[in-house]
Amino acid sequence: MSDKAVVVPDRANTLTSAVARQWRRLVKRQDFVVLAFFAVIVLFLSLYTDTFLHSQNLSSLARNFAWIAIVALGQSLVFIIGGIDLSVGSTLALASLIAARAMQVGLPVPLGLGAGLLVGVVIGWINGLTVARVRLPAFIVTLATATIVRGIAYGLTRGWSVTALPAEFLALGQYDLSIGSWSVPLPLLLALGIAVLISLLLNHTILGRYIYAMSSGERSLILSGVNVGHTKEAVYTLCGLLAAAGGLVMTARLGVAAPAAAIGYEVDVVAAAVIGGTSVFGGVGTTLGVLLGAGVTQMLYNGLVVLGFPSYWQTIGIGAMILTVVLLDYYRRRR
Amino acid sequence: MEPLLRAVNLSKTLGTLTAVRRVSLEIYPGEVVGLAGQSGAGKSALAMMLAGIYTPSEGEIYLDGERLRPPFRGRSLGIEVIHQQPEMAETLDIGANVFLGNELGWPPAGRWLKVPNRRRMDREAAHLLAQLDMQYDSLRDSVGNLSSEQRQLIAIARAMTRPARLILVDDPTLPLSFGSQQRLLALIRDWQQAGTAVLLASDDVDDLMAVTDRIVVLRHGRCVATLPTDGTGREEVLSAMVGIADRQQLTPILWALDSYYRAREQAEKLHQRQAMIERDLGARNTVSRQLIDNMVDQIDALDSANVALQDAQRRLLAELELERKQLAREIHDQVIQDMLGVNYQIEEMEAEAAVTPGLQAGLAAVRASIRDLVDDLRHICGSLRPPTIDSLGLGPALQSYTRDWSERAGIAASLHLDPQLRRLPEAIELSLFRIVQEGLNNVRKHAEACRVEVRLEHTSPRALMLSIGDDGCGLAENFDLAALSAEGHYGLLGVSERVALLGGRCKVGNRPGGGTLLQVEIPHPRVEQGKQAE
Repeated sequence: MSDKAVVVPDRANTLTSAVARQWRRLVKRQDFVVLAFFAVIVLFLSLYTDTFLHSQNLSSLARNFAWIAIVALGQSLVFIIGGIDLSVGSTLALASLIAARAMQVGLPVPLGLGAGLLVGVVIGWINGLTVARVRLPAFIVTLATATIVRGIAYGLTRGWSVTALPAEFLALGQYDLSIGSWSVPLPLLLALGIAVLISLLLNHTILGRYIYAMSSGERSLILSGVNVGHTKEAVYTLCGLLAAAGGLVMTARLGVAAPAAAIGYEVDVVAAAVIGGTSVFGGVGTTLGVLLGAGVTQMLYNGLVVLGFPSYWQTIGIGAMILTVVLLDYYRRRR
Repeated sequence: MEPLLRAVNLSKTLGTLTAVRRVSLEIYPGEVVGLAGQSGAGKSALAMMLAGIYTPSEGEIYLDGERLRPPFRGRSLGIEVIHQQPEMAETLDIGANVFLGNELGWPPAGRWLKVPNRRRMDREAAHLLAQLDMQYDSLRDSVGNLSSEQRQLIAIARAMTRPARLILVDDPTLPLSFGSQQRLLALIRDWQQAGTAVLLASDDVDDLMAVTDRIVVLRHGRCVATLPTDGTGREEVLSAMVGIADRQQLTPILWALDSYYRAREQAEKLHQRQAMIERDLGARNTVSRQLIDNMVDQIDALDSANVALQDAQRRLLAELELERKQLAREIHDQVIQDMLGVNYQIEEMEAEAAVTPGLQAGLAAVRASIRDLVDDLRHICGSLRPPTIDSLGLGPALQSYTRDWSERAGIAASLHLDPQLRRLPEAIELSLFRIVQEGLNNVRKHAEACRVEVRLEHTSPRALMLSIGDDGCGLAENFDLAALSAEGHYGLLGVSERVALLGGRCKVGNRPGGGTLLQVEIPHPRVEQGKQAE
């Protein structure tokens, strides 16, 4: 009798411990947690609101998501090498303004786009150069660049917005492609395309290896003859380029380039990257995670709007979420 | 020949510390240069400058006569470095770490956008790690959980991923097991054979003596000596490393010390203690500094006492040999010739007709004993100074001696000589011969053996191992070399002293299968082997 009494709980214990082990392994993967959270939000908003699943709401969500995701992909690269780029919002604004001005004075659309992207490249490269060569903290360097670039944007336009942009350009942000019975917003496809390219870069090139190795193995890279300075410059430049690209997509969607565009959006970009599992301590992050992170933040905003929360309170939700995820990451690393 | 790498007046200041002061150095293709120095002597800083990682505070570096502008990418110029501390990219796996900075892929000349060829890299990494005998589960494992030895082996494999022209080996042996250390030394020899130049920085003089052609000694960042390995010894390198000012010849009064081995042992212990205390010197106060200074003084005194003792004994042995040689010549040229003359006179007397048959028998007996005497004297001459050793060398001398000994002692003796054995300096040949004589003498007197085996083999191009093994009764359980001298037996002690004077090692013990085994390892100048003459 006593035998049975011992055996039964034992079996139950091994079963629950196996389940618990599997569960812990899953929970450790940030992708999975974000995916689960994503599903919960979608389910909740579909059940409790009438407007969330409306095609117009979804399309607007996808367009906003696209440019946040593009910029967050660049930011996540910088996070993986153990840095941060706070100038993405300003870069995005200046790149959009320069592109818009160029098209307004009659330059062809491709040249205008090129000019905008070039602005991003130059700002990113300056950031990279200062961080890698002069070895100043990325936080302070990019904060300074952000202020300077924003100042240039205001100075060039004297505070006015640039409107009346060519239709070919606006199509970039507003056109829908019909795939079967679905109409898919072009920005969403652009974001996915860029994500695929970044994923290839991270997982199937030498540069990707060095990016992942940088935060904890910088000395080993230096001793192995890898030009660490150039690698950092490349990552910051890429981040600037993607910020500019995100800005162009946003401007094309809104139809107006404003010097005050994207003020405070650095937080959304950081949130997308961090919630998507990119570690602010470096070395960890995936493209899929960043896409999911961008999706979650945008849906959170969107959900709070459709649920009728006052917009003044919305940022609290995002801030709390960033803090939670970073704390989780910190404890996971300490273990 | 043009040097592969030439460094001129290199200095490096790290913070307020000048780690390297005006060091000049040349390394030729296919040369193994040793960089000796205690920790903190500036070996690593010099290696880092030669690798292009540190920018020198002053001085120039030339590769193939062309001046390099630091910081340069040493690896792209064919300069590989194995560092003291293995640095790993913690987020990457074993395979990726082996090829870090030298990834194979497509397009071959591509840089950042090169697509890594994982399968090929894994195959080559597995091959390299197998060569180093490293144990691991999978190349996909993260390096985070590896032992420091495994990490160092990965770092060594990293330096072997492409053919190098110069490999800087910066004292990587600390985390390595003895086996891995030996494997590394063997690798350095292989690299040299392949024409690669090697700079081996180390504080282990034995390692340096084993593989280098030339030893550059650093002390407090300065180059204090450049010694050809063939023309120097452990003691000279060590004294240059620690900086014993001059080898004053102390009077041989110190013979009064009962055994200089004890002194030497004590010096070793003090050295070790000094090293241990120096390790956390920063945290200690001035009292321990004083203590160390005292100890250093003591060690200096002991070292110079040792040197004097050794010099005295070396002189004594040399004189002993000289005297034996003269004695042998005198016996041979004078006494034996005289006796042969006497023999001849008796023979003439015999021929005279007036001799009675009784007297003739007596004279014949006298002549027979004269012949025996001459034979005995010849034998004594042979042991005093083997006639073959001067003309034909150690090998033939040993052959004729063991054959003769075997006949006289009635014990079967076999002799195995290394086929690579060449002529060695006189002192070494004579010492080895005397050791064999003493060893075989002991076998006859004490071992009660019926078979004895003498082997003389190279353990490296610069060391010989002599072993004498018998199948006799073996040594007593509480055998103590020091106690023998107290009882008036000096034979084995003499052997161990001769070995110590030649800078070698001596071991006496029982063989597992029964019997005694005397093993003697003696370093000697490099002997050109086979066809590999200059």
